[in-house]
Amino acid sequence: MSEILADPLPLDGDAPEAARVFDEVLLSVDNITLTFGGVTALSNIGFDIRKGEIRAIIGPNGAGKTSMLNVINGFYHPQQGKITFKGEERRRMRPHNAAKQGIARTFQNVALFKGMTTLDNVMTGRLLKMKTNMFWQAIYWGPNQREEIKHREFCEHIIDFLEIQAIRKTPVGRLPYGMQKRVELARALAMEPELLLLDEPMAGMNIEEKEDMSRFILDVNDQFGTTIALIEHDMSVVMDLSDRVVVLDYGRKLADGTPAAVSRDQKVIDAYLGVGH
Amino acid sequence: MLYREAGQFKSSYASDQAIFPIRQDKIGIALILVVALLVVPFVASNYVLNSILVPFLVFSTAAIGLNIVTGYCGQVSLGTGGFMACGAFFAFKLTTAFPDIHIILIFLLAGFGTALVGIVFGLPSLRIKGFYLAIATLAAQFFLIWMFTQNPWWTNYNPAGVITAPPRALFGDFYITGVRATPVGKYLFLVCFVTILALVAKNLVRSALGRAWMAIRDMDIAAEIMGIRPMMAKLSAFAVSSFFIGISGALWAFIYTASVEALAFEVTRSFQVLFMIIIGGLGSILGSFLGAAFIVLLPILLNSAPAMVGIRMSTELLTHLEFMIFGALIVFFLIVEPQGLARLWQIGKEKLRRWPFPY
Repeated sequence: MSEILADPLPLDGDAPEAARVFDEVLLSVDNITLTFGGVTALSNIGFDIRKGEIRAIIGPNGAGKTSMLNVINGFYHPQQGKITFKGEERRRMRPHNAAKQGIARTFQNVALFKGMTTLDNVMTGRLLKMKTNMFWQAIYWGPNQREEIKHREFCEHIIDFLEIQAIRKTPVGRLPYGMQKRVELARALAMEPELLLLDEPMAGMNIEEKEDMSRFILDVNDQFGTTIALIEHDMSVVMDLSDRVVVLDYGRKLADGTPAAVSRDQKVIDAYLGVGH
Repeated sequence: MLYREAGQFKSSYASDQAIFPIRQDKIGIALILVVALLVVPFVASNYVLNSILVPFLVFSTAAIGLNIVTGYCGQVSLGTGGFMACGAFFAFKLTTAFPDIHIILIFLLAGFGTALVGIVFGLPSLRIKGFYLAIATLAAQFFLIWMFTQNPWWTNYNPAGVITAPPRALFGDFYITGVRATPVGKYLFLVCFVTILALVAKNLVRSALGRAWMAIRDMDIAAEIMGIRPMMAKLSAFAVSSFFIGISGALWAFIYTASVEALAFEVTRSFQVLFMIIIGGLGSILGSFLGAAFIVLLPILLNSAPAMVGIRMSTELLTHLEFMIFGALIVFFLIVEPQGLARLWQIGKEKLRRWPFPY
């Protein structure tokens, strides 16, 4: 019954990732309820994301995973519950406030700026950190040029890191899908986020692209110390990458714990494979 | 000398981010400026200066303005004529009230005034998009023209509702408006002024502000995630755009026609500028110039072409033919290259880069 979930893991032992221990809570959501008219997208969801970990959010289609990210992001405003980020309870806010606080995000369907080059896309990630005013930008030389060069240098590091040097001057609309996903990750990283939300970073990729992306996610977590929350349907990826997993189904929380524990949970297995009658 | 960038290696970010990173572009622009400033004034007739080059430069400024809000920020605006009228009337009121203020300052102040008006009429863009926004900006067009025709204060109580540019000198005896201005003087002033304005526009769109505008245009949700405030981006685009359009309106009234009534800035003017940026290329400063040249030059070409090849036609037939061919050409262009003349230039560049090798 539990093939899909349990296969990638040795069922007897603990997953190697479980050895990593995280104490400091970066973000916690409590009792989140989100409804659209009569439809309840999320009901009483509560979990936390700890600093430095890779946290997976999984669940069947329509479980409310993306809605959850949208709540964290400030796109949706839950009817109930509270969100605490960096120890501070968050007021009702817009997505750009979340960006200012250090939350970056990629989208399920690539949401790049199609008319701009890879480099310009990555440079938009630095917009919050660029301070010169419109007057200097109109003249360009002077403070504005110094700032452009400083941030360009930072962006080039990220471009190197994600191995997309060759396409830096290509308009992103012309890139293949896998590359676009990578550029989107680069753009999010340029913001130097504390919390990075990845919405199905590997959807529609082939095995090599998935391996590349997994490597990048682990490297980002390792080298930049970025906390990552990730939604993914490929269970082998989830089990290998994540430190802890939260499982949603029909807007409710089914399980929360290490990949190994979650994959043995009978409720999770039932949700994925159906219940015999 | 072939036009290609191969072999030109950049060793610093500054040179890679230069406004014209390709050496041939630098030479080309310098050549165009030299010819425009040193050759054209001596060889061009007054007709060419007054009815082709001056309106081309004025329209280019308007097209750059509209391109900023529509091409770069993605907010469709049909209020161009109204904003041009704002610039013209603001400049007129200012320079008649304060004759001592320098004319360039008057133009800039008129631009800033129009920018404020642009911000007010840009407010609907925070809630509506696309066609609906276009209709909302059309309201600006009709309201502003109505205000300038109905209120005689704007024309200093001129009975015909016409404003006439008073004589103003750039320096000493060098008049650029009024009866003492020469076509060459007007033209030279415009070349310098419009070049500076175009540089300012280019600098803005390649800096942080331009990136914020394009981000809003391409994917507003993702832009907000990146920390761009949609309100700031859209309203700044409307402000900067109206600034350029207002200046172009002032230039139109003061330098091109010298006397003008509000009806010269009717909605047809808005469409004319919109055609320019669509044909020239949305989101391109070069495209603004190409589009303006196309729209200004083509009717003149069509008008004089039959006479050149020796066909005699009645003026009426000629006018109607001109409209038909003009319309057909616009349709043809939109089908062949929906992204405009600037895109054709881009494609040509990429071809030349590889020529004569296929790969």
